[in-house]
Amino acid sequence: MPSVEPRGAERREARLAYGMVAPAVATILLIALFPLTWTVWESLHLHDLRMPWLGQPFVGLENYVEVLRERRFWGAMAHTAWFAAASVSLELVLGCVLALAMNRTFRGRALVRASILIPWAIPTVVAALVWRFMFEGLEGWLTDDLGAWLPVILADTWKETPFVALLLLAGLQGIDPALYEAARIDGASPWRQFRYVTLPLLAPAILVALIFRTMNAFRVFDLIYVLTGGGPGTATEPIALYTFNSLMHNLRFGYGSALSVLVFLVTFALALGYIRLLGRGLTEGRP
Amino acid sequence: MIPGFHFRLMLWVGLLGCASETRSGPTTVTVSGSVLGAEGQILRRQLERFDREHRDIRVEMQPTPDAADLRHQLYVQWLNARATDPDILQVDAIWTPEFAAAGWILPLDRFAPDTAAFFPVTIEANRWQGELFALPWFVDVGMLYWRTDLFPKPPGTWEELDREARKVVADGSPRYGLVWQGARYEGLVTVFLEYLGGFGGRILEGGRVTVHEPPGVRALTTMRDQIRSGVVPARVLTWHEEEPRFAFQNGEAALMRNWPYAVAPMQDSASSRVAGRFAVAPMPAGAGGRHTAAFGGAQLAINGFTPEAGAAWQVIDYLTSPEQMLERARVVGQFPTRTAVFDDPALAQALPIPPARARQIVEAAVPRPVTPVYTQLSEILQIQLHRALSRQAEPAAALSRAASEMQALLDRVGLGRGGVAVR
Repeated sequence: MPSVEPRGAERREARLAYGMVAPAVATILLIALFPLTWTVWESLHLHDLRMPWLGQPFVGLENYVEVLRERRFWGAMAHTAWFAAASVSLELVLGCVLALAMNRTFRGRALVRASILIPWAIPTVVAALVWRFMFEGLEGWLTDDLGAWLPVILADTWKETPFVALLLLAGLQGIDPALYEAARIDGASPWRQFRYVTLPLLAPAILVALIFRTMNAFRVFDLIYVLTGGGPGTATEPIALYTFNSLMHNLRFGYGSALSVLVFLVTFALALGYIRLLGRGLTEGRP
Repeated sequence: MIPGFHFRLMLWVGLLGCASETRSGPTTVTVSGSVLGAEGQILRRQLERFDREHRDIRVEMQPTPDAADLRHQLYVQWLNARATDPDILQVDAIWTPEFAAAGWILPLDRFAPDTAAFFPVTIEANRWQGELFALPWFVDVGMLYWRTDLFPKPPGTWEELDREARKVVADGSPRYGLVWQGARYEGLVTVFLEYLGGFGGRILEGGRVTVHEPPGVRALTTMRDQIRSGVVPARVLTWHEEEPRFAFQNGEAALMRNWPYAVAPMQDSASSRVAGRFAVAPMPAGAGGRHTAAFGGAQLAINGFTPEAGAAWQVIDYLTSPEQMLERARVVGQFPTRTAVFDDPALAQALPIPPARARQIVEAAVPRPVTPVYTQLSEILQIQLHRALSRQAEPAAALSRAASEMQALLDRVGLGRGGVAVR
């Protein structure tokens, strides 16, 4: 059959549809794209609030070159990556154990499930202060460049594991009990049941938890700001804290914007990678 | 904490501040500064008195945060937006050159201030390119607090201090020899400056960084070795002003480096275990240097965009008059910036420590480098000092790295060796 030419009425309807979508698109552009473009534009200029006599000349990629040459930037990137890797893997393992435990039926299960959320519900700044007071009493931890990571990673694990556990628990509850019954009849040991039934079916939930936690760990700010201030020296300074210092403390808007853009690119790449992984995980995870 | 939120909040506070400005009848002058506690009360009282004596000028107080960093950010945002209020700013000495170079505060020479009446160091710190930009209001200096029941006299040199403190610590009572501000912040730089002066060094000479030269290395090595030998506890590396004060006040430390504010609370026997058992002295000196105190305190400057500069000057002139300084010394224990006030017998009753002692310490005060990029230089130095003290780097290596980064910054903004490009 030959295709029908769109009639006037249909065209009008299409126009109406675009008109109705326009406000939403405009809002998205305004709140997502505008600040981002502004930041990129700012990052191409020398803009130092404290040195207005330098003006705001266009400097091309000079700010980026300076960032990439700065040892403190690479240190901060390494700290962030190391913090994310260490805390997220701990949280995943512990969260998985907790979720498995909570998935069983036992007396007082509701109470346990509720109380496990307490660390997660405490505001980060408050939790960080509590951990700082605890470790300030112990000589040597906060003043040692390696030792200072212990309270940081402990505090983050303590605080974020419940979130991971809850996500994984939801995943566990979606698994059909009949599968375990079948596995038992086939004589599978608990370990083999976990390895070949639970883990593959839990993969989507694990991936979701992984995405949330890695992205958040990459942007870690308040916990370290309060707990170690990035010290001793800059031994525990993550990239978000370095950016904050450049922007809000030194008021170097151009340089700080270049940092922000780089952080955005890295997080964006991470997100893309995870989304592809998640897409695959979701399709393969289905039996 | 959400940094962006903070920023915007302060921006709004600033905008509201501008909007509330009204002009009718007498000229209105707004003063911004500390409004908390006794300091806020005395400022209010002094401004009310000024109001009564001057029918043509009305004075209003504009509160600003007490934390120096936050107040600085707020000022920068206001002035960068060319706000005409507040007319008078309470500034730290280290901000004066920065604001002056930006054209944000007015040169005061046109009002012919009597600069000879003030301690030279307080005037020197507020000059930028030969002109005076702020009038010193009160002085803060680093001092050595020592226990009169543990030592017959205060240690005059670092060797003497180490020897005496080690003896005390060996007995275990008190636990700590010397305590100071060792966290990675501005306070650490002021402590270092005092050790540095004690060994005859300087951070900056003209546009040239000299902090990594032998006196600097000796100063930082002394600090590091004191931590290593237990004279100074390693935990000072997370301490600001209040933690050392609590340690000293509870009798846990034999010696402390702190600002004058600590005298009054520690003389209150209800909360202090060392009331009546301590005194203050200049910080010790090492070989080739002299007793040094870091110069801090508050100055008053006039907003560069105010249309009421004349009236603002009258208020500043009033607040920095000898009588008002004497009252501040009596109520909040702040040291006057005018030398003549120290000759006034009334000061002996007003200050909690002998005025001759206070004067001796003020005269040993040195300003931090007078440059518009001071806070950025300081940040670089703070990081490297902290690295050396937390055993991540050797003092010489840390200072070399600090020096090269500081020099690169100065050269980049045209304030380096080649001369001064700022107008």
